[in-house]
Amino acid sequence: MSPFPTPSRRRMLQTASCGFGSLALQGLLGRESLHAANPVPHIAPRARRVIFLFMSGGPAQLDTFDYKPQTGNTPHSGSAFKFQQHGESGLWVSELLPETAKHADKLCVLKGMHCDTGIHAQSALQLHTGDRLRDRPSLGAWVGYGLGRDNRDLPGFISLNTSRPSSYGSAFLPANYQGTPIGVNGEDMSLATLPNVTGDHLPTEAKRQQLDLIQMMNRRHQQQRSDDSQLDAVIKSMELGFRMQATAPELLDISSEPQAVLDRYRVGKNHLEGTCRASDFGRQCLLARRFAEAGVRFIEVNHGSWDQHKNHRRDLQANCRTTDAPIAALLEDLDQRGLLEDTLVVWGGEFGRPGLTPGEKDKDQTGHQSSGFTFWMAGGGVKAGFAYGDTDETGKRAVDGKIHFRDLHATIFHLLGLPANDLKFRHAGREHRLTGPEGGRVAHDIIA
Amino acid sequence: MRLLRNTAIAACLGVASPFWLSAADLVDAEQRKFFETRIRPALVEHCYECHSAGAKKVGAKLFLDSPSGMLDGGESGPSVIPGDAERSLIVHALRHENDLEMPPDKPLPQAVIDDITKWIAMGAPDPRTADATATTAKASNEKFYTDGELWSFEPIQNPTPPSVTGRSWPRDPIDQFVLAGVEKQKLSPTADAEPRVLIRRLHFDLTGLPPTADAVDTFVAAYRATGQVAVTTLVDELLASPHFGERWGRHWLDVARYAESNGNDGLSRNATFPHAWRYRDYVIDAFNRDLPYDRFLTEQIAGDLLAENATSPAERDRLLTATGFLAIGSKPAKAMNTNFEMDVVADQIDAVCTGVIGLSVACARCHDHKFDPIPTRDYYALAGLFTSTETLWGVAANVSLTAPPTELHVLKTAQAAQPPEGLDQRIDEIESRSSKNDTPLKKEFTYPPGTPLAMGVRDRQQPADCNINQKGDAKKLGDSVPRGFLTAYSADLNAGISIDPKQSGRLQLAQWLTSGEHPHTARVMANRIWLHLFGQAIVGTPDDFGVYGERPTHPELLDHLASRFSGDCQWSMKKMIRAIVLSRTYQLASQGDETTLAADPENRWLSRHLRRRLDAESLRDAMLSVTGQLDPAPADGSAVRHFDVLVNHAGNLHEASDHRSIYLCQLRNSPPPELAAFDLPAALNVTGKRDQTVLPTQALFLLNSEFATAQANHFAASLNAVDTDERIEQLWRRALMRSPDDTELASARYLLETLKPREKAWSSLCQSLLATNEFRYID
Repeated sequence: MSPFPTPSRRRMLQTASCGFGSLALQGLLGRESLHAANPVPHIAPRARRVIFLFMSGGPAQLDTFDYKPQTGNTPHSGSAFKFQQHGESGLWVSELLPETAKHADKLCVLKGMHCDTGIHAQSALQLHTGDRLRDRPSLGAWVGYGLGRDNRDLPGFISLNTSRPSSYGSAFLPANYQGTPIGVNGEDMSLATLPNVTGDHLPTEAKRQQLDLIQMMNRRHQQQRSDDSQLDAVIKSMELGFRMQATAPELLDISSEPQAVLDRYRVGKNHLEGTCRASDFGRQCLLARRFAEAGVRFIEVNHGSWDQHKNHRRDLQANCRTTDAPIAALLEDLDQRGLLEDTLVVWGGEFGRPGLTPGEKDKDQTGHQSSGFTFWMAGGGVKAGFAYGDTDETGKRAVDGKIHFRDLHATIFHLLGLPANDLKFRHAGREHRLTGPEGGRVAHDIIA
Repeated sequence: MRLLRNTAIAACLGVASPFWLSAADLVDAEQRKFFETRIRPALVEHCYECHSAGAKKVGAKLFLDSPSGMLDGGESGPSVIPGDAERSLIVHALRHENDLEMPPDKPLPQAVIDDITKWIAMGAPDPRTADATATTAKASNEKFYTDGELWSFEPIQNPTPPSVTGRSWPRDPIDQFVLAGVEKQKLSPTADAEPRVLIRRLHFDLTGLPPTADAVDTFVAAYRATGQVAVTTLVDELLASPHFGERWGRHWLDVARYAESNGNDGLSRNATFPHAWRYRDYVIDAFNRDLPYDRFLTEQIAGDLLAENATSPAERDRLLTATGFLAIGSKPAKAMNTNFEMDVVADQIDAVCTGVIGLSVACARCHDHKFDPIPTRDYYALAGLFTSTETLWGVAANVSLTAPPTELHVLKTAQAAQPPEGLDQRIDEIESRSSKNDTPLKKEFTYPPGTPLAMGVRDRQQPADCNINQKGDAKKLGDSVPRGFLTAYSADLNAGISIDPKQSGRLQLAQWLTSGEHPHTARVMANRIWLHLFGQAIVGTPDDFGVYGERPTHPELLDHLASRFSGDCQWSMKKMIRAIVLSRTYQLASQGDETTLAADPENRWLSRHLRRRLDAESLRDAMLSVTGQLDPAPADGSAVRHFDVLVNHAGNLHEASDHRSIYLCQLRNSPPPELAAFDLPAALNVTGKRDQTVLPTQALFLLNSEFATAQANHFAASLNAVDTDERIEQLWRRALMRSPDDTELASARYLLETLKPREKAWSSLCQSLLATNEFRYID
């Protein structure tokens, strides 16, 4: 039987939609929705929000964070670039990321990442939703469902420069948990905004009156059709859209930032080369900081494509050059403002890449590697200046401190104070969870 | 898996026959099918985890993901002796005989072992090419549907409608199939829809426009008097309306990845397609004239070859324009891209295969399809048809780095449209980042201003077979593959169709697809039609009928529809649609009782109708329609018809228009602002089913957009009753096709009396109604 009887679930969601902290979670943990036999312990949250820097295409870990000098007997390619230790922690970072390297003591580098497939679309979907094939709620939607919103005037989940709705969708979760996209991949991110967020055809008071009439009609319409959760979601989104008019325009307007800040983030600077696409990554990172400050719960920032098969060196350099300084600026600002403490920053792609073929120096080509690759986290309760896990001596596969995507999901949930494998939703006759039938393991060793 | 330890058995095994590696060529269709449906899935599911290139740790150096791997074997020697199952190590291992036991934990089902034994006895025919092994296998942990053959390759049956308990309920065989499913679930169908609900549903589904309040009243009275007679009359009227083609043409344009610009070519350049709209008009016309689907497909794939024998110049133009289907795809930049031509071909293969037969063939460009029975050879057999074809996309804003210029079809009978005064036919001239100004266009690619042109294809002078591009690299050529079709089908389907070596073979491709025996063509289209009438399809993945696609909820119903479509309906889409909307199932209410809702929340069993949101086009068209602003005439051309430019340079190319939404300028990466908030397809691939998001940005569109506020003003200005209450009545009837109730009347009055500034009160009230769910959803 469902742990969420329909009426109580509806009530719970209604309260959650009013925003303010973890009402949904409290509902979830409340007595009526517990499995008596399997009580969920309350977990103290370490993070309040997540900034996910999604490096689409699969960044080459051997040329960025997973330093592999020739040690054993098996010849391997190692990196095409130089590595150096940084900070007090002595983390290894390659020469491609000099600015990020300055923040080495903030990073928690996860070198034992692995996943199931080297197919881009499927693996990216699995990273975002836990499932490679079917339409499932995205990580950000689950987080919203679990925690509600921190700011009732903004969406709880914003995805910048996103490629497809499945990565911010809510699938069978109520539709009001889906992410709000700003800038769809291929659009000029320097101009990307929330269309129609302002309108001066009516004064605010009149708009409120107008919306009250619309919502009165909508609620009466829905009363006749109470089974339809989409109608409910529309009512909520109308309210949210109305509220956003008061806050979002100012948040999206970065012209108030000092020039020095814009320069640090390299706002407006695109470096187009090979697979490296224009994404105005600096503006994305700056917006991410502003959204985090404003209390947006889950923010995704996208850059691609790291899928440099041919011209590996050139294209990888271009991608690193584009993202390095903005990420450093983001970490710096979050830290300075005391936000890093409860903001979990996550960096990574849908998989990694094998090294260049050893012995073929002229060959400048890599492929896909799902058996071992690197993510990093920062802030939000993870150990700082810490490297966790490892690949084998050739860097081909994760052997130590292995973290699958479902383990990553479980760990993120745990840091947010959500029960890793017990945040469930009943749909079409069975319970679903982000971590899938296998469940995810929390990587406790990385938690500070 | 553990190491294979039994060296004793290995020692006594023979060596592979030398003919083995060429055996892939000799595998016939039946054997291929047996392999693809019985053997490959079993290997992938049970063995690849440890014995494939993608395995985390390869067991005993044995690879079972390639013919050579199976034959050469691992540490214990060859695993397969073709033709001799009893001596094949793999059979011993699978039987858990001796101490070699695979899989180690639990033997496989006897049926699987029998299949593999049978397959080895057949000579182990293996259609996988050697290439497949070189790529990283991704198939570990794949879950396969091993519960039978891949259903969609089975011939279409014409099943007898099942008997049902509620004998008086069905109106059409469709209803029998549906009711049988409902009864099996111990559910019962909900009530019939109220006539006022039904007419609104029919209007939107068949024409994409709302009925007027008067039409609703008339229909309600007729329905009460004559029931289904009234419905039939209404349906026939709507099918005959020119708006039918504008509605259903749009559905097909989603499948055809229709757009009027190339979209980002990877170098941020987005060249317009100034002539693509002619294909749009072709599609609308095809639906309105009820062109049979088989003919419709043939024209789009090979219209240029039919045009040679066209009965009139106008017919010739129409046929040439149809081939725009193959030319409007999005291309990656030509610059530095040695695979450019094959990228164009890939788009064409994808549009045809995903669009028409619901199979993604794209993976096979680089390796045998891992899951569906599509070997690389098949891909290049198809590719040969398209490499023998010249694609005419135009001059791409005269930026040869994005695409080299091509000619276009010159139309004979279409009206010449001169660019307006002061505007030359604009061709973009830009300084590219990596070179100086592109050279002026060569004469052969320029036409006098206003010349009617169409995108499309034509045969190359010297058609030729295509070589396999190893791993999809056009510089690494493998064998040449004779032009042909997919081999996974029964041999009968491919028999009797031979490709004229002097032609590309596209005409034969169309024949192959539309022969009526093809198990996919009719099923896929019947399913698409169903999707648009019910909001959900029988096969939930309308573009994927392969292994990873969903299984049909009602396989017999789907076969009934498919055989009826190509049989009784003679591929007439109007007849198919007519039959479905006249069924009782279609005409059900969208409300269900508690039990049904709890038991079947997704309405999988169709015991009610599914409530749907108006899509982007219908919403805009409905707003224009009720405010009285809609110009119902087809638009002439497109906002970009005189602009051969880069969208990314040109700024806003969209123009305000009161024509129906299908005529708005559909630029990739720059959708029309009036539609963009509501899940338009990106038009990069076949999109059988649009996303359906609920976002605050949609609310903001309704509350703040220039379009919504302008429509509200028009609406307010058009209300002409003098008395306030009468005016409110007028507003409600026009927007919602009903009178306001007392609560609504009071609320409206209150708003009108209190909203400031007063002069905005009426438009504000009008805008409110256009933003309600009642306006935006169809019951």
